[in-house]
Amino acid sequence: MKRCPYCGFENREGVLFCEECGQPFVGQADTPDTSRLNPETHETFKERMTWGTARFGEGASVLIRIRDVVEPLVFEPGAETIIGRLDPSALETPDIDLAPYGAAELGVSRRHGMIRRGEDTLTLIDLDSTNGTFLNGQRLIPHQPRVLRDGDEIRMGRFVFNIFFR
Amino acid sequence: MIDASRNLYAILGIPPEATAEDIREAYRVMARRFHPDANHNQGADVQFRDIAVSYSVLSNPGDRLRYDDAHRHFRDEPAYFSLRAIPSKRVLSTLIEPQVLYLLLDIVPAQRVISARRANVPMNLTLVLDRSTSMRGARLDKVKIAAHHIIDQLSPQDVLAVVSFSDRADVLIPATSVTDKTSLRSTVSIMRADGGTEIYHGLVAGVAECRKYLAPRMVNHVILLTDGRTFGDEQRCLALARQAAEDGIGISAMGMGEEWNDEFLDALAAATGGSSAYINTPRAVLQFLDERVRSLGDAFAERLQLTIAPDADVLLESAFRLNPHPQPLEVERQPIPLGTLEKNRSIRALVQLQMPPSSKTGFRSVVRLDVTGDVLIADRHQYKVISDIAIEIAHEPSPEPPPPAVLDALGKLTLYRMQQKAERALTQGLALEAARQLENLATRLFAAGQDELAHKAIHEARRVSRTQAFSQEGRKSLKFHTRQLLALPAPGNDVP
Repeated sequence: MKRCPYCGFENREGVLFCEECGQPFVGQADTPDTSRLNPETHETFKERMTWGTARFGEGASVLIRIRDVVEPLVFEPGAETIIGRLDPSALETPDIDLAPYGAAELGVSRRHGMIRRGEDTLTLIDLDSTNGTFLNGQRLIPHQPRVLRDGDEIRMGRFVFNIFFR
Repeated sequence: MIDASRNLYAILGIPPEATAEDIREAYRVMARRFHPDANHNQGADVQFRDIAVSYSVLSNPGDRLRYDDAHRHFRDEPAYFSLRAIPSKRVLSTLIEPQVLYLLLDIVPAQRVISARRANVPMNLTLVLDRSTSMRGARLDKVKIAAHHIIDQLSPQDVLAVVSFSDRADVLIPATSVTDKTSLRSTVSIMRADGGTEIYHGLVAGVAECRKYLAPRMVNHVILLTDGRTFGDEQRCLALARQAAEDGIGISAMGMGEEWNDEFLDALAAATGGSSAYINTPRAVLQFLDERVRSLGDAFAERLQLTIAPDADVLLESAFRLNPHPQPLEVERQPIPLGTLEKNRSIRALVQLQMPPSSKTGFRSVVRLDVTGDVLIADRHQYKVISDIAIEIAHEPSPEPPPPAVLDALGKLTLYRMQQKAERALTQGLALEAARQLENLATRLFAAGQDELAHKAIHEARRVSRTQAFSQEGRKSLKFHTRQLLALPAPGNDVP
């Protein structure tokens, strides 16, 4: 059996694309990187096998819950929201600055990823970051948008947070 | 009397100089694989019939001698087309659970045979045109223009018939050689929109016209064009299509607008190896008909049929024709019609098999593939190619990436299947599940760079969760456009 890292569906051996959600297995099939996830992450991932909605309507806002940080970040996303860490030597400021939470040590790039707001949906895009962006444990291909759902786990480098719609 | 053109030795998998003992042994092996008592797969009994006939001839010394003599001048005939199969894995691992194996099949016309003969194959074409009330206006006008265009393209060696139908059928142009183009065109022009849609009437009249000039050396094809849903006569239409396929007539269907029944048109086309398409603007009619007729005119071989006979412990799960004209194939009925093999395009199909758990290492047979077709440009009928696929099983084989061609095809097919899954979920009343599948599809479409389709999928997902229903336009558009993605040739995988 081969468990889909994206949706948890148990696929038969030899399957190349998850028969449930269509995610490709190639590149990961023979080198499962599950060991890198810490147990806690795995638990939160398993708790909700059913998915939150992908609908993100008008007037909705985003709540970001960073692990070990009590107070969530709340913001209303514009057309494009850059997530990264502020580097005093750089001129640019990301819309969401993760530097106060130890982002530099955990491998977050200055311009790491972006949340793009579409008509009733949010998509997550990796901006060719050094350590990559992971959505629910699966690595994003740079510059290819992926639809976000309420409750998704996002990992940037080794920086983990969950995203909620409200 | 046995058809001397068939290669009985190939059917038993032995060389022509095989001894009587070899023949007996080969038959024993084949019977173990394909005898209906041991193997319940659909294609197996088709194969076993051939095997039994071959054995009965070759095991009788007198019959064998007569057959060898009659078959002699077929021995040196060229390979008219070939069959290639690429498995998703070359070596399977021993496993205590079943595993999936994909085969990418290519049926390739032999270029040598093509360049030796240039002439085009004559066509026996029947157009069956919907003229129900809903066609009034731009739709019917475009259909007429498209029909005119086709008349202009045909040559005097071709045969054309035109049938129009609503709740009854009229033969506008009885099957005739295309000589007086002016009068043919003006006959099409007088068509008027009026009445309901009953496809069966039109199809019966169309197939009857096509049958008048039915000839094995021609491409015999009926093209149905409708914008409506037919009520209650689907089964009769399908039975008619199967009969037509047996007689060597292919049917292609195209639906315009939003009302027509896509599953029905799919089944109709699949029954004969034809194709079906969705046309969302009247303008696209011309493009589709043009492409279809060009493709038929480019025929190298017609009435291709594929038999997929897995070994007794292997399961055939599905098959899909990717190219040309992507179309799901009905594996429950074998042989499977594949339609026309064009001169410059191979037929490509993806087959999904399930292998049983296995602990034994070494090579094992998996499936026998058998393709038969009438090679029109060489006047060779029922030309057959057989390919026995074997695969190695080993303990912990070194990992290998799947072949890019398989990956590419399967990736696109997965998109189409996700859309189908969403539809199925909704038919079962699972709106949330359907919406979730559509969101998954949107994610994959974004990843594939198909932003426009992805947005359509998101739109439908929202609609489904709100209203528990697809929009007709959105559903058909997603289905046929994800399917159409399959038709794009993978870079570097074109037929040489």
